[in-house]
Amino acid sequence: MDWSQLRTILWLRWRLSRNQWARGGRLNAVLTIVVAVVLFLLGAAGGIAGLLAGTFALSKASPPVMLLVWDLIVGTFLLLWLAGIVSEIQRSETIDIGRLLHLPISLRSIFLINYVASHLTFSIILFLPGMLGLSVGLILGGRGFMTLMFPLALGVVFMITAWTYCLRGWLVTLMMNKRRRRTIIAGVTFAFILLAQLPYILGNLMDDHKRHRPKPVQSVESDQRTATRPGSGDRTGVPHAVLLAHKVVPFLWVGNGAMSLAAGNIWPAVMGAAGAFLLGGLGLRRAYRSTLRFYQGQTAGNRSKRRPKAEKLTGKGKNLIERQLPGAPEEAAASALAFFRCLTRAPEVKMVLGTNFIMLLIFGTMIFVRRSASIGDNFRPFVATGAVAFMFLSLSQLMFNLFGFDRGGFRQLVLLPVPRKHILLGKNLAFLPVAAGIGAIFLLLIKIAMGISFVIVIAAGLQLLAAFLLLSMVGNLISVLLPYRIAPGSLKRTKSSTKTSILIFVSRMFFPMVIAPIFFPPAMGLLWSSVRWLPAAPVNLFFSVALLAALVVFYRLSLSNLGRLMQRREKEILEVVTQEVE
Amino acid sequence: MADLTRPLPFRSCAGRLTSRMTLAIETNGLTRYFGDLCAVDRLDLRVEAGKFYGFLGPNGAGKSTTIKMLTGLLAPTQGTMRILGQDVGDIEVAREVKRRIGVVPEELALFDNLTAREYLTFIGRMYRLPKATVRDRREELLVMMGLDSEDKKLTLEYSHGMKKKLTLAAALIPNPDLLFLDEPFEGVDAVSSRVLRDTLKRCVQRGATVFLTSHVLEIVEKLCTDVGIIAEGKLVHQGTMDEIRQSGSLEERFLEAVGSDHIERQTLSWLEG
Repeated sequence: MDWSQLRTILWLRWRLSRNQWARGGRLNAVLTIVVAVVLFLLGAAGGIAGLLAGTFALSKASPPVMLLVWDLIVGTFLLLWLAGIVSEIQRSETIDIGRLLHLPISLRSIFLINYVASHLTFSIILFLPGMLGLSVGLILGGRGFMTLMFPLALGVVFMITAWTYCLRGWLVTLMMNKRRRRTIIAGVTFAFILLAQLPYILGNLMDDHKRHRPKPVQSVESDQRTATRPGSGDRTGVPHAVLLAHKVVPFLWVGNGAMSLAAGNIWPAVMGAAGAFLLGGLGLRRAYRSTLRFYQGQTAGNRSKRRPKAEKLTGKGKNLIERQLPGAPEEAAASALAFFRCLTRAPEVKMVLGTNFIMLLIFGTMIFVRRSASIGDNFRPFVATGAVAFMFLSLSQLMFNLFGFDRGGFRQLVLLPVPRKHILLGKNLAFLPVAAGIGAIFLLLIKIAMGISFVIVIAAGLQLLAAFLLLSMVGNLISVLLPYRIAPGSLKRTKSSTKTSILIFVSRMFFPMVIAPIFFPPAMGLLWSSVRWLPAAPVNLFFSVALLAALVVFYRLSLSNLGRLMQRREKEILEVVTQEVE
Repeated sequence: MADLTRPLPFRSCAGRLTSRMTLAIETNGLTRYFGDLCAVDRLDLRVEAGKFYGFLGPNGAGKSTTIKMLTGLLAPTQGTMRILGQDVGDIEVAREVKRRIGVVPEELALFDNLTAREYLTFIGRMYRLPKATVRDRREELLVMMGLDSEDKKLTLEYSHGMKKKLTLAAALIPNPDLLFLDEPFEGVDAVSSRVLRDTLKRCVQRGATVFLTSHVLEIVEKLCTDVGIIAEGKLVHQGTMDEIRQSGSLEERFLEAVGSDHIERQTLSWLEG
């Protein structure tokens, strides 16, 4: 590629970005500039902080401290880097190679431009100056051989970015099947959430284990013996397993190199830097080859004669949409069953529901393992009600944007000769089995873990229905007034204006207020039992029944009005939730 | 492969339109602005019931905007519309009119996570068709469109042509009195296109009205009884195909209406001898 072509390609990229900003409006452009400036300042601050820390705080640091510091930096960088990948799993090319394949230009150059541009991420801008600043600071602090930290840190960053670039390219080929694409996006996101929360869950469990384990009586002498025992580590006191891990796991080579340099040994740093650049080079070469194969249609997916598993669909439940729902109007029943079918098939929805269980694990281990003994009998009904409220927290993401998930399908809803209140009823009913199913599991687990009475469980079940009606009413209103478009294959908001984004954020803040009435029955139970009029459980049950009855009436009354409101606003909603024809 | 000669088991449309109502579509001063851009400018359409009406125009002329307004997908800035003799300005009336129309919009209207069979069942039920009718029509439409073997796929996995065919099937399932088809043949294979043309002809023979937009003049010439030409948002020609044939071909009339002098000026200087 000659200079003129390169300049044209860069101009194209700039023009595309500029047009995109122009379409987003002035406010959007201003916010983008502000974010860019803040990022630049953060990067500069990171560099200066690293420089100062290296010069003054870490100039005399021991090898294990160096190991710890660099491990922390690399670990945090990796975490943010992975978070960035999750937010955009499929590699988005700065310049779409597919659109330039027919032009007489070098694809390798475009690939390299795309790869270099992929470094413009929050994590790199924030951490790379910090790493480099720290290296300079360590040199200024009097450790000249710390110069080797430059190639080592850069090499490891290069290795990480090259291999993730390769991984994302591979995911693109896998995601050519649209259905598999959604599953991968949901799966990777779910795995990342679980991975990020795993240390916390394990920490909780280990804390509990430690607290319950009798402390062994050990003399100072035996402690010293243990420290010097072969296999417990080297002279630095770092356990042997940790040292081994730092030799084997490539992204830990930075910490290993820093520790060795602090101890006066340059070879681990030299070898680490060489290895990182070599691995990075291999990753980039592989990424280039797979990119070319992808754009030229030589993907594994094309070669495979095996029908992808994801395409197979069992005949089970294929007549679900034909079924009747007792008491529901024909159109509402058809809508409820069709929307329920859509919900259960969407990986992004499964991911939202899966998050419920991760949260249950986290809070479950926190509450039940660590503090269950300290929760008094009077307050246990609140845990059941709280679990119900908590479950709806993630579900509200879908219930507050009923039409965003329909995308182009909403156009069909507008064309249908159906009273809109029946569509709203159908949409709401589609969530009922999901909410009831998850809620039942939650309550069962709480019943087992905390030993609450059946009356409380039944009361909490009624509160679940009450919460469902409350959120359905508020969700219907917000969905009609404040719809937003969701990116295909995810629940991520896309192309919404800054004003809408702020309003959506504010509306989410109302969630605690919306859900608050379901705490009224257990509160009444607590009040009545505290003044010794009646036991808490039957009072809780009675008020739960009364609350549910009142909400059924309110819901029925609200449905017609909200249906009319939807009818009036459906063209505006359509404009927002459907994809533009590009 | 669908049997092209076998008629669909639709009830006859003939006679359902009252003699009083002769216009299936009537618009007066229909106008739509997008910001400062006037996409449709004081359109006065008259489409008689039982006609196969071709609505033609260059890209960006306002064809899809007009269909969107007529079908209730887009609100007009000004003007009135009567569909099947009813003033659709009233929301309740508009909903009842929707019961009697079928639409294939420009941007398709499918739910990603349903199969074709499920989607047609959903549409049939929403039109309150009896269960047996939904089942029969659904199966015939799936066979006719060649989608019966694709039952295990979600519409998400369909190609553009398959999506188009499914949307057409959904528009046909209620056996409507009036069909709005925005570029129905775009992306549809030759076999399905032939099946579709025959089906639409049969609908018109039975008394239904078809309002169709297409870029392919040959299709319009073969199928349509009446033609309207729109250019820059204005209706520049409206008449029957017979009138057009008397004075030449549809292409000539179309170029004349949208401005053929434009073509003569389109030359490339470096290709000149």
